Amino acid sequence: MSEMSLQQTPAAPVRRDAHGDTHGSHSQRVQNLKFATWLYLASEVVIFSVLIATYVVFRLHNPEVMELFHEKMNEWPGIWLVSLNTFILLASSWAMVMGLRQIQRNNPQGLMRWIGLTALMGTVFVVFQYVEYTEMAHKGITLYYDAASGIFKDFGMRFYAPTAFHGAHVIVGVLWALYVVNNARKGRYSSQNYIGVEVFGLYWHFVDVVWIVLFTLIYLI
Amino acid sequence: MATVSLPLGDAPSAPRPRLRVSDYLRWSVDHKIIGVQYMVTAFFFFIVGGALAMLIRWELLTPTMDVVANGSQYNTLFSVHGLVMIFLWIIPMMAGFGNYLVPLMLGAKDMAFPWLNAFAFWLIPPAGVLMIASWLVGPPEAGWTQYPPLSTLFSGDGQTLAALSVHLLGISSILGAINFIVTILNMRPEGMSIWQIPLFCWAILATSIIIVMATPFLAGALTLLILDRIAGTTFFDATRGGDVLLWQNVFWFYSHPAVYIMVLPGMGILSDVLSVHSRKPIFGYKMIALSSMAIAIVGFTVWAHHMFTSIQPELRIPFMITSMIIAVPTGIKIFSWLGTLWGGKIRFTTAMLFSLGFLSMFVIGGITGVMLAMVPFNIHVHDTYFVVAHLHFVLFGGAVFAIYSGVYHWFPKITGRMLDERWGRLHFVLTYIGFFFTFFPMHFAGMLGMPRRVAVYMPEFQGLNTVASLGSFVLGISTFILVYNAIASLRAGKLAGANPWRALTLEWATSSPPPATNFIGDPVLFDDPYGFGTPAASDYLNAIDRRFGAPEPGAPAAPRPAAPAAPQPAVGD
Repeated sequence: MSEMSLQQTPAAPVRRDAHGDTHGSHSQRVQNLKFATWLYLASEVVIFSVLIATYVVFRLHNPEVMELFHEKMNEWPGIWLVSLNTFILLASSWAMVMGLRQIQRNNPQGLMRWIGLTALMGTVFVVFQYVEYTEMAHKGITLYYDAASGIFKDFGMRFYAPTAFHGAHVIVGVLWALYVVNNARKGRYSSQNYIGVEVFGLYWHFVDVVWIVLFTLIYLI
Repeated sequence: MATVSLPLGDAPSAPRPRLRVSDYLRWSVDHKIIGVQYMVTAFFFFIVGGALAMLIRWELLTPTMDVVANGSQYNTLFSVHGLVMIFLWIIPMMAGFGNYLVPLMLGAKDMAFPWLNAFAFWLIPPAGVLMIASWLVGPPEAGWTQYPPLSTLFSGDGQTLAALSVHLLGISSILGAINFIVTILNMRPEGMSIWQIPLFCWAILATSIIIVMATPFLAGALTLLILDRIAGTTFFDATRGGDVLLWQNVFWFYSHPAVYIMVLPGMGILSDVLSVHSRKPIFGYKMIALSSMAIAIVGFTVWAHHMFTSIQPELRIPFMITSMIIAVPTGIKIFSWLGTLWGGKIRFTTAMLFSLGFLSMFVIGGITGVMLAMVPFNIHVHDTYFVVAHLHFVLFGGAVFAIYSGVYHWFPKITGRMLDERWGRLHFVLTYIGFFFTFFPMHFAGMLGMPRRVAVYMPEFQGLNTVASLGSFVLGISTFILVYNAIASLRAGKLAGANPWRALTLEWATSSPPPATNFIGDPVLFDDPYGFGTPAASDYLNAIDRRFGAPEPGAPAAPRPAAPAAPQPAVGD
């Protein structure tokens, strides 16, 4: 036994990935990117859950503050503005999916239009959120602790921290969408290669889902 | 197994890559360069944190205040010491090992995301600058745990910078961890199942899962802390609608798993080193691998044992039980390592000595951990030097000893030259003795009631503290022996050859240091990374020697010349 024969290993097909973009096979790269995105989103879930938990614990201990808050939200524009904003964000996810469908059919022009629309809706969301924040500030709900705000003195921070953190994610998403549009303009996507769009889509859907949770917990119940 | 094929390129061996120092100072996506960047940066901060530790021990030589001018200065010393050692030394150092070794061990050319890898590293220098800058603007004084209200109401602006620094480091390690998980799970060569990867990769996998799931908790808490400090919120101010326990819960929900972030890679290093240097298959491969996963999971259920004095009393018992349960997977590892050593042909190389040092000291740290899990004992020694002793036995006696062991084991692969064994043994002896006399007396001081984090203490503790301080000075000196050894060996150490320790994992089946693409052609793996002692293993190792050239004669680790495989099964390799 143990007859040694050193086989010359042929230099050919290197299946494994190396230096990402240059050597790796496409399917390997797609798998890696999707998996990494899911892991990244998992860590985002955790950080959002900390911020949401600070809000939930507060509302469990202070139901009367929430009642008053919901009363205030009934004043115009209040809940109507937020509902419209929620609708816009949900619709932007739909636009995102339409864009993905276009590139799967090898239509970069359609991709650019739909993802451009996604970016536009995201921008509108952020603008409306700014308007809403201004309204809130007029009602005395401030980020900092303000004894003059009466019952809302320690509510503001629990409200702004998760929603503003989400807003920051929308802003990042808008920039990312513009980057995708720019890539499409340069012809970097095709029906064979649209992982860049797909990964952006995962992120955008995630931002959407977080908003659904926040909207439900803060405005609806 | 009659045929062993090896990675054969066109040349008998690849030209040794000549890397200049400047290659390590600029952006590079090569995981080997990034790994070294991590390690050297981390070691720099080890020296910084160590210097602070020396100042702390100098202050504690006498019961009165004589080195620092006031208590605030002392608070700064131990706060920055802890933050630097944990976030800028141990965690990045382990990431450095992971970066250098994981792709090599998997026969891959690089990590899954080379650019992301470089980005994760380059977050560390700015974070280090922030941490050091925090000293200049009203230093952090709240300890590495940064409990409010100490960190919100009683600390200077430096606390904000330190929090930002830790935030950056957290992002860095999350990005790194995502990269590790994808690399280990997706980039294995064909024919290497998950049960054939080296145990170091298992350890990095478990660590990375913890990092991805736990570090964001710290990020969330730090975000709230920074808001409290700069935006006027009062999340942690109990007098204004906040809750200090919120910080403690979230912080420890990260920081207890973080203990395993720091020690699991060390356990991975140990699994490799012990097997290779005792020439025996690892005992209980699957159990070691799965116990890493068990630790990763159970680690999330024990956080409140850090808060026995502040949580509701009825929650103490459940957390006591989970804290004791987590000793079980650790015990499985310890006994598996002992089983590996049992009957092996142990070579007392420096790498092996440090691994044995880990075994002896980590067991003490583990036992004091179980003691601390017990509620009545914990309440007795809460916030005393007993806790300081315990955590240093785990983090220095555990993680740092493992790092040293890994440095001696893989230095030949990284640089192509052996570290000098005589200096290495001196380094080990001084470290071991210095370590023991620094931290063991702290157990007694703690049980006798000496509180931690004080510059002035009762005179009756002076004897114990003097011993600890003298021990720590020996420990401090021992570090520079490693520095000297590394520099001297880099210039004139013995050439290592591809596989000086005759190990079976893939990182040794290429030249030292490896070429830019890691392997010339496809690497061929040996089916059992720890299958020492079979003729096939011996053949494989001899083939590597023939292919890349045997180590220089006289290199300490090659006890036998590359002889033809003996027919009997027990050939010693």
